[in-house]
Formats: sequence, C-alpha cells, structure tokens
Amino acid sequence: MLAAYLQYWRINVLTMLEYRANFLMWFAFSIVYHGVALGALYVTMREFPSMNGWSFRDMFFLYALWMTGHELHNTLFFNVVSVPDYVREGRFDRFLVRPLDTLFQVLTVPSQTMPDSLILAAITLAFATSVAGLHVDSALIAGIVLVAIGGALIDLGISLAVATISFWFVRVDTLRWVVMSLEQDFTRYPISIYTRGVRVVLTFIFPFAFMNYFPATFFLHKTDVGLHLNPEIGLLTPLVGLAWLTVSYGFWRVGLRHYQGTGS
Amino acid sequence: MEVATEVGSLVLRVYLLRSLWTALYAQNLAPLNLPLHAMITYATIALLMSLVLEIDGTRLIREKLREGTIATDLMKPISVPLYFFADGLGQTALHAVLIVPSLLFSLLLVRIDVPRPAVLGAFVLSFALGYCVNFFLNFLMNSIAFWTLETFAIQLVVRWVSDLLSGQIIPLTFFPGVLGRLVFALPFAAIYSTPLLIYVGVIAPSAWASAFATQIGWLILFAALSSFVWRAGSRRVVIQGG
Repeated sequence: MLAAYLQYWRINVLTMLEYRANFLMWFAFSIVYHGVALGALYVTMREFPSMNGWSFRDMFFLYALWMTGHELHNTLFFNVVSVPDYVREGRFDRFLVRPLDTLFQVLTVPSQTMPDSLILAAITLAFATSVAGLHVDSALIAGIVLVAIGGALIDLGISLAVATISFWFVRVDTLRWVVMSLEQDFTRYPISIYTRGVRVVLTFIFPFAFMNYFPATFFLHKTDVGLHLNPEIGLLTPLVGLAWLTVSYGFWRVGLRHYQGTGS
Repeated sequence: MEVATEVGSLVLRVYLLRSLWTALYAQNLAPLNLPLHAMITYATIALLMSLVLEIDGTRLIREKLREGTIATDLMKPISVPLYFFADGLGQTALHAVLIVPSLLFSLLLVRIDVPRPAVLGAFVLSFALGYCVNFFLNFLMNSIAFWTLETFAIQLVVRWVSDLLSGQIIPLTFFPGVLGRLVFALPFAAIYSTPLLIYVGVIAPSAWASAFATQIGWLILFAALSSFVWRAGSRRVVIQGG
C-alpha cells in the first residue's frame, strides 16, 4: 500500500514536470485567490480596526490557520470531492473490484496534485504568526502542526460525509456548495459575530470553528465571547477531527454496502 | 433545484453580510457618508446585482471556438457579436427572475433603504451601463480564445480581482489614499461601484452626469477594443481551420 502511495506521488510529480505551465498557472491562482481575500480584509479593517475585539493582525492569523488546515486537506485528500462524479459516471465501480481499500484507491487517483498551495499556506502562516507578534517556541510550533492536521481531518470528515450521501442521492452539488460556503466564508471571522444558532452549528455540527477560531483564540490569548468556552478546547482540534472522521468513515462503510451504482 | 441552490446560497451570504457589518459598526466609528443601514443596503444590492453580472453571456464564444462551430456562424448573414449579446441578454433575463425570490428572502434578514424615484432611475441607468461594460470585459476575455483556446484560467483570475476592485465585496470608498484614487480610476469601478454609490447616495445628484460620462467612456473604449479584437480574431479562424 505504501509502495502504491509513493507511486501515486511519483506520477503527480511527473505530470507536473510535463505540464509545467499548467502547474505555475494553478499556483498563481492560489496566490490571487488568497490575496484577494486578505486584501479585502485589510482594506475593511483599516476603516474598522476592531471586529469584536479582533484586530487585522489577529484576523490574518485566523485566516492563515484555516488556510493551512484546508490546504493540507486539499493536498492529501482532495479526490474525495470527486466521488459524486465517479458515482454519476459509473467510474466508481472499478474501485470495488480491486483488492485495495476503496477509500485509499479514491485518494490515489492521479490528479496533478502538488503541495505548492500547502507550502504557500505555511509561508503565509509563518508571516501571520510574526505579524501577530506571537512568541515562537517549540510548543507553539507543535500546537500549530497538530491544529493543521486536525483541521485537515475535520475537512476530510465533512467532505467524506457529503461524498457518501451521493451513494443515495446521486447529485449532491447543492449540499456540497452549501457546506463549502459555510466553511470558506464563515471561517473568516470570529464566531462571536454570528447569532447563537450559527455559532452552535459551527462548533458542534460542522465543527469548522475548531479549524481556526478556537485554536486562534488560544494561541492569541483571547477569551471566547462566542460560546464562553475555555479557549484551551482549541487544542482538542486533532481529537475533534479524528472523531468526525471516525463517524463519517463508518457512514462511508454503510454507504458502500448500500451502493448499487447508477447503471451508467 | 438549481434555483433553490442559488437563492439559498445568496440568503446565506446576506446573513453573513448582516453579521459582519453589524459587528463592525457596533464597535468602530462609522464612516460619515455610509451609516450601517446604507452599508447593509449597499452589500445586499451588490449581491442581487451579482446574480445578473456574474452570468458570462459570452462564454459561447469560447465554446464555439474550441468546437470549431464558430465557422458556420461567421458564414451566416448576421452580426455575430450582436448574436452573442442577444444570447447573453436572454440568459441574463432568465437569472434576473431569481432576483425576486432572493430579494423576498433577504428582506426576512435585512432592511433595505428605498431611495426616491429619481435616484432609483439613475441607479437603473447606471446599472445598465455597468452591465454593458461587464459584457465587453467578458467578451474581450473570451476572445482571447482566438489565440489560446483556453481562457478559463485568465477569466477566473480577472473575476476574483474584479470582485475586489469593482466594489462588489467592499465599497471602493474604503480604499485609502493613492490606492483609493487608483481603484476609482480603473474600469472595474464602472461595473458595481458607480450604480451602488448612486443608490446609497454617496454620489450626489450633482455628480451623476460625470459618473455616467465615465461609465460611457469605458463602454466606448471597451466596445472599440472588442470590435478590433473580434476582427483580428475572426481573420485567424481561417488559418486555424476550426
């Protein structure tokens, strides 16, 4: 399995070398996308320096923390998002007749993935950490790495659950869109700006608040005025990620047993 | 289903903008010319406008170029760019219908200022001019396909950048100093910013004429550029074979 996985990355690297222009273009994309998001935030917060007690420096760190977990997910697990397409086009069936784990096979479909966006995220996070004036020591670095891994697992847990639903309802674009928008738009700000119901959803149902809000609250020595929880729960991110992934992997197994194909 | 998604996602974003601006205005000094209710009106109308402005009515050019069917269109006794405009207008009209349910659901979450009829009229006129500027911008982007066949990448980047520089995400009045003068000088401001600032009253009636004139200026420039690119491009089709 490890050999197959290494082979997968070898193919990705070879593809990148073959389509260098394409690779550079997608890299430029990442820079522009995150640049626009941060630029809008910077301009807004020049005019309004405080968002429920968070300054631009805090918000930059909040964004970079989300970005790192999210890009780690995109680098390692992005193919899960394609499962509904495989199901619809009937390409999913081939994974079922091969002797390796189905999810492993999905994750290793050659896909031109490179860790470039992840590297960009790491650089952004390093910059944001110094802008926020955090004292960097090994405990902080270890904490950030764990939070990034946990964040990627939360992301994977949720995208796997959405993908599994496609075994029953072939088209899940709507659901995927709503969940994606919840993540990308709602993780940009401290959850205290939302109404109570939305704070609860972002903490306990789709736990995106654990990808950045709670850990950032802890690292920046802030108090959580959203749900009045102890900021130290931000360190639970890896556990929340594991828990979510376990539940949705169980759901995935149920879905696989149920899977009948679309006949396409 | 598609309709439900679009309306649903818009309502979600209306909720987000309400939360965001309410929090920001509660704790900071409000800008003099843009109190909270005007800001929420601005952001909500901007979202409703995006239902229409994010439709790329000229995508057909790219597709037809790739499949080569543009050759038969060029043979027909019609003005092909006009045909694209009409096609785009049709798609736009279809999406414009979505504004009604979106607006109704949004009104459950936010209150929108309704200006006097004269201001509303000026807004509609300015919006129409902005629509045309946006059409030609898309037209130019898609016409790049005459040379490269693949334009999706460039278009996406231009879209993101223009979302920020056109005043769709935040009012251009927030940009400080030189940056502020620069964003107002760029053509993107003609798409969202001008109609929206007329709507919320930041552009006073005395300044309408010059605002329209700037929009018309960009429109003429972009139309001329498009016609030039179109002529240069359609000569190339012959070489390419389609």
